[in-house]
Amino acid sequence: MEYFALLLGSGLVIGATYGLVGMGFAIIYKATGVVNFAQGELLMLTAYIAFSLTQGLALSFFPLLLVTLPIAMALGVLLERIFIRPMLGEPAFSIVMVTVGLSVILRGLTIMIWGPDPHEFPIGLSTTVVHLGPVPFYPVQLYALGSLAIATGGAWAFFRFTRLGIAMRAVASNEAAALLMGIRVDRIHMLAWSFSAAIAALAGVLFAAMFKLGPTIWFEGLRSFPAVILGGLDSVLGAALGGLVVGVIENMAQGYLGQGLREIAGFVVIVLILMVRPYGLFGDRQIERV
Amino acid sequence: MRGMLKFALLALGTLSAGGTAAWAAEPGITDTEIRIGDVNIMTGPASFIGQAVSVGSKVAAAEINAAGGINGRKIVIHTEDDGYVPARSFQALKKLIEVDDIFALNGTSGTANVLAMMPLITKANLPTVVTTAPNELVYNPVRPSVFTIGASYEAAFFAQLKYIHEHNEPKTPVYGLIRQDDDFGVAVENGYSRAIKELGLKDGIRLKYKKGQTDFGAELLQMREAGVTVLANGAIIASAANVLSEARKLGLDLQVADVWSEIMPPSAKLLAPAGYSFFVGDYIASMTDPAAVSWLERTKQYMSDTDRQAVNRYTFITYAGLKVLAKAMAACGKELTRACTVENLKKTHGFETGGLTAPISFDNEKQLGGTEVKVYQVNLADVSFKTLTGYTQY
Amino acid sequence: MRTGHFKDSYASLVALSDSRTAWVWTGLMALALLALPLLVGAYSLTLAVTILVAIVGAIGLNLLTGTTGLISLGQSGFLAIGAYTNGILLTDHGWPIWASLPAAGLVAAAISLLVGIPSLRLKGLYLAITTLAFSFIVNYLILFFEGVTHGSNGIFLGDVTIFGFDLSADRPLYYFTLAITVLVALGALNLGRTRIGRAWLAIRDHDIAARAMGIDLVRYKLLAFFMSSFFIGIAGALMSLQIRFINIDIFGFLLSIEALAIIILGGLGSVAGAILGTVFLTLLPEAIRLALSLIVDPNASTYSKYIYEIRGITYGVVMVLFLRFKPDGLIGLWRDAKKFFVNWPLAY
Repeated sequence: MEYFALLLGSGLVIGATYGLVGMGFAIIYKATGVVNFAQGELLMLTAYIAFSLTQGLALSFFPLLLVTLPIAMALGVLLERIFIRPMLGEPAFSIVMVTVGLSVILRGLTIMIWGPDPHEFPIGLSTTVVHLGPVPFYPVQLYALGSLAIATGGAWAFFRFTRLGIAMRAVASNEAAALLMGIRVDRIHMLAWSFSAAIAALAGVLFAAMFKLGPTIWFEGLRSFPAVILGGLDSVLGAALGGLVVGVIENMAQGYLGQGLREIAGFVVIVLILMVRPYGLFGDRQIERV
Repeated sequence: MRGMLKFALLALGTLSAGGTAAWAAEPGITDTEIRIGDVNIMTGPASFIGQAVSVGSKVAAAEINAAGGINGRKIVIHTEDDGYVPARSFQALKKLIEVDDIFALNGTSGTANVLAMMPLITKANLPTVVTTAPNELVYNPVRPSVFTIGASYEAAFFAQLKYIHEHNEPKTPVYGLIRQDDDFGVAVENGYSRAIKELGLKDGIRLKYKKGQTDFGAELLQMREAGVTVLANGAIIASAANVLSEARKLGLDLQVADVWSEIMPPSAKLLAPAGYSFFVGDYIASMTDPAAVSWLERTKQYMSDTDRQAVNRYTFITYAGLKVLAKAMAACGKELTRACTVENLKKTHGFETGGLTAPISFDNEKQLGGTEVKVYQVNLADVSFKTLTGYTQY
Repeated sequence: MRTGHFKDSYASLVALSDSRTAWVWTGLMALALLALPLLVGAYSLTLAVTILVAIVGAIGLNLLTGTTGLISLGQSGFLAIGAYTNGILLTDHGWPIWASLPAAGLVAAAISLLVGIPSLRLKGLYLAITTLAFSFIVNYLILFFEGVTHGSNGIFLGDVTIFGFDLSADRPLYYFTLAITVLVALGALNLGRTRIGRAWLAIRDHDIAARAMGIDLVRYKLLAFFMSSFFIGIAGALMSLQIRFINIDIFGFLLSIEALAIIILGGLGSVAGAILGTVFLTLLPEAIRLALSLIVDPNASTYSKYIYEIRGITYGVVMVLFLRFKPDGLIGLWRDAKKFFVNWPLAY
């Protein structure tokens, strides 16, 4: 039982990072119908920017976020303006490929600026192990779980209650109609990118603080695919939940079956889920007419 | 409609203008220079290896050239990037051979990369010193023109586990292994198996993981369930650090043997916070070893600031590799040929590297030298490495 | 000068080309390709083989993604299956290459049905990510069944000969790959003008509408998976012939991305586009290398550290620029150029 609880604990921790990254995917997909293949690179770039900030200013977690998140949002806006806005009206597939190109650019740029060396990324949190029942956590891991909860709650409230959130849902459900109702669709897209970049930054900082900062952390983007697919590409809350589920499944698969199964457990699960529910667990079923 | 294919042809044609190399009696040699190739990881996450390697080549070449070159010929280094992708290593070596017209190869990327280049190397009888991939797969079977420097991961792990067994063994010694699921991981496991068998150790658990994995929560729990007290940590860099960090979280009391890449300062700094005084077995001098310190002093005139930052163990070994190669080439006199160089490399015996490695000899069946390993232990306070044993053959 | 089209038989409508000029040019190009080894050096020939192999793979992917509209990120998985099948049959079972090559295609095709069946209900990016999942799973299984696949050690291909020609030499390999590529290209072109090809196009344009018109979606989607993977499997086998060493690291995820980039830059759904895209993207790094060596001194230490990363970034930039300014790809560029000359001096 204790073994199970410990597996659950470490599964939730890694799941929280999947969830955060997955939310970033879902926000952009919801608003623009595009899977942003540069999400992992966005995470990488913002994490490195935050790293430079801690080096220069010795900021602790909350001040660091206060500085990093606006920078990330500005970066999101910038990338949307330069790379995505000019593609408005092109097929989704082309825009997806633009994000693929963007990912190559960001990856090269980051390594060029910060070099290939890995770094320890302290964010001013204690490293004393905390026990919740039998399960040990590093404080930063609890912050990650907390951040996921807050981000999920925030996203839920935003989409439910704010004008902007409702406008975003309108754009997601029918872009042309939303445009006709006077919603500035281009602004909504820009907003989606900036929110997504902010969440990527949050995920990046937490991920790097837990698992070190190195030039391979962009891969975290791909690893989070099962989470976002499980939840449904267009479901922001589903992605968060999907992340936790995938994280736990990975750890259970490794803990009980072994054989390095963790690396594919998430992918096997989504293949199975998609056979039953082709739009993920919480995704909107597209009704098509000829 | 398919006529446009002629563009493809045109493009190829233009390219070939640079592609056809003049046939010299012996490739890569002119009256004034000898061209040496170097295929390495210059881009991507592992580029710290390639950067360090190219500094090693550069310094060795500068030093040799400053002393008058090899029988009057200067050494010129041609570096190609393979980004750690075997298919690109093949492509890169093809270019070095056909376009840059190299005479020999020094500096060779990872194991799979060398293997992908092997058919080309054998075919051209290209004198090759493998400095960064001392893997069994490289020297077994022996290729006549390929010479390898360095201990295998197998020997390095055996050395550490033996040291732990003899000097630092915990009260209830249970050994555990975690390793990558590739050729490198297999070599690590061989060392572990050998230690288990020859030293009669208790084998608790063996785990595999996929390269680049970050979360090791479940794996370390498995270790704990198996009662592991001595961990052979075959993970590298961030993964290695994450393994130790998970171990610390679970409060495991461990003796830890690590991969030699963890002796490099950026990597060691990642591992240190977990608080385990880990061991490393390496066939190359550590950065704080007197041999390395005096080398850095002696060669600083040849290095720029960026070069100096890139220096690590791969620099030393590549430097040594080019020096061995240069000695073999010099012994051929003015009439330098590949066959003669290979012949002289084969005769290499007890080549002194000033302590950067043990003396190098290739006059054995495997054409493998510098295999003696030192065991180091990290000093957590300043992340330096204490030398525990001299160069020893395992 | 041709000014318009008038066709009076169905056969002439579906003919590969109705223009004598096109046939003449094609013939000339075939001659040029045959003469290539006599004209260029060994490195260019290696590049040519790389291009030919990638063309086979790109044509395969194009059938699935370009023609049928099913986006796949599983290219690297099918390439790996093809390469491994070829390698295992050649080295462990002593098959001749003329048998192992089609077998590589068939095995990849058969396995693609395993992916195809669960993917039938999936659309767009969901399908893309499922195929991505598939390639990760293939990767895992290849390392897992090391008894068959040699696991992480990889496989060395010994000497491979066909009709007495040694395929490890540059020229025989070039001619061999060229022959296969031409066969694959002709196969794909001909598939495109049959009932099957038209069914695929209909599915791409709207699969529900296609079904309403009596096209059996299950059958034709699976057929698309099958044919596409057959070609990709053959490309994988050819890859293994060229490098002569197979290791799982060769088949990374980025390969799948590159393959997609190729068919998009070339122009979706067109065989000629796949060819153009491959040539362009394979030569791009070489061109960037040349350009950079003209601009900066490769020995200047400030640049040498960055030069390789800059090359990677340029690759990304070219991709983005193309998608932005020439979304129908190189083949679109070619059509525009042709139109310009045909209609000149008029605009239309």
